[in-house]
Amino acid sequence: MNTLASIDRRILGRWAFSGAAGLTLGFILLPLFFVTWLAFFRQEIPAFPPDGYSLKWFWAIAKHDKFVQGFWLSLQVAIAAMVIGLALGVPAALCLARYRFFGREPLSSLLLLPLVVPGIVLGTSIYVFHVELTIATELPVIGSLAGLVAGHVLVVIPWCVRLVAASLAGVDRSVEEAAQSLGATPPVTFFRITLPTIRPGIVAAALFGFVVSFGNLEMTLFLVGVGRTTLPIAILQYLEWRIDPTIAAVSVLQILLIGAAMAVTDRFVKLSRVV
Amino acid sequence: MSASATDDSLASLAAREARGGRLSTAGFLIGPATVFVTIGLLVPILILFRYSLNDFKPGLLMVDALTIKQYVLFFTDPYFLAAFWRTLRVAIMVTAICLVVAFPLAYKLARTQSRYKNVLIMLVVLPLFVGNAVRAAGWMTAFGNKGFVNVSLQWLGLIDEPIRIMYTEFAVVVGIVAVNLPYVVLTLQSVIEGIDRVVEEAAFSLGADPLTMARRVLWPLALPGFAAGAIFCFILTMNAYATPVLLGGPQFVMMGPLVYVQFAVKSNWPFGAAVSFVLMTATLLLTAAANLMVLRRYRN
Repeated sequence: MNTLASIDRRILGRWAFSGAAGLTLGFILLPLFFVTWLAFFRQEIPAFPPDGYSLKWFWAIAKHDKFVQGFWLSLQVAIAAMVIGLALGVPAALCLARYRFFGREPLSSLLLLPLVVPGIVLGTSIYVFHVELTIATELPVIGSLAGLVAGHVLVVIPWCVRLVAASLAGVDRSVEEAAQSLGATPPVTFFRITLPTIRPGIVAAALFGFVVSFGNLEMTLFLVGVGRTTLPIAILQYLEWRIDPTIAAVSVLQILLIGAAMAVTDRFVKLSRVV
Repeated sequence: MSASATDDSLASLAAREARGGRLSTAGFLIGPATVFVTIGLLVPILILFRYSLNDFKPGLLMVDALTIKQYVLFFTDPYFLAAFWRTLRVAIMVTAICLVVAFPLAYKLARTQSRYKNVLIMLVVLPLFVGNAVRAAGWMTAFGNKGFVNVSLQWLGLIDEPIRIMYTEFAVVVGIVAVNLPYVVLTLQSVIEGIDRVVEEAAFSLGADPLTMARRVLWPLALPGFAAGAIFCFILTMNAYATPVLLGGPQFVMMGPLVYVQFAVKSNWPFGAAVSFVLMTATLLLTAAANLMVLRRYRN
């Protein structure tokens, strides 16, 4: 009797625990669910229950220049920041994973610092830096595209260093040594042995870099110039004014784009192993 | 003998040269990124600190000076102090809620054998990547006067009039909890995954019930992970921008929006810089304190 009751309690406890896990997952996804629902409303006012459903808001996006331009700018900046970030971050990760030298730990912390410094502080400091640069060089640095990309490179670098260094730590060095003892020069060893083995790490770094840059809001607020908006800022400014199915449709497109990028990456490297 | 000594010194010379070569390769590899982060981040933070010591005169904007006036202003003005304490209060609430709510999901994700594990992880990561503004839009849909929550509550007969949810602390806390949960879940999950299943089973076979096992085995082992998750969550909340602006409205001022308004709307760079510095220092100090506390307990 007693044991039966305790088994019952244990099963009940397990169900409650799984239920709690499911509720948390549901809660995380809830805002995406609501915004998707709103995108298909027929009427413009976000009142429940909806009068009916329609796809018209998706066609209306093309008429909003701010979203279209913001999307292209975000795309360009994210691609540029990802490429430059990889070019700087992958060699640095290689160095941190393969060489032991004085000052290695502080250097590694320095490269991860942009991840720790809050986005608002990052934005304000880079902004005043641009002010000083503009005064010193008399070049229009404030609000320039180059300044924006440079800021984004800064937030991409830590992800590249972290993900590539993590995947380098899992590489068996004896394979590289075997290649070198068979006469391969260091560059050949790198391109034929090391690079293929850390490819998942580099793909993950590219994806994370792209997504972190594409979605960056706080730092970017301080770096966009007059008449230049990225997609997240365009969405934020619209939402400060109103919420309607148009902005919901834009949000759905962003969800789809990011979801697609993740699904593609998942084919190269299992997300559960790199996140 | 002398020949072998020469060989030795030659060998050591070659070794030193090789080491020198390796070091210069290392410098060549890490140099560009280091220079970029130093010029792009450390120098700007120094300039920001210098700006925060300047004076501000309406009409003249920033005036060169060396004064702690801006910091004094921040810590004596009730409006700014209220924003500071409000931010701290929200950060503590959000962190506590996140840790409790994240644990079951993190544990399930860490221990599941399901072949859909990857899909589940993607579902956790997707909202994280979609961005804060989009998620705030979701809550705005739900929280409005004719939003899902109010309409449902009225339909159930629990309330007669729509209650105000938008532009309250409740809305901001719910919004930020949802924003931070994926980070906390993933941090906890990776730590729990690193704990061998065997120790849990050992506890069970010695007669511990799940609660005892969690308290006596899992909790001490996962403590560093909880600390890391809590710190991350705390930093994110202290510096939240989009969620307080959209769900809290103009009256619910937190530190992040405060800095932006001082810079972009009021053009008060010295004060904005000072607030920015207070924010960064508070964040770093509190995380360092939390780190120390956990480390000390962990060592005992």
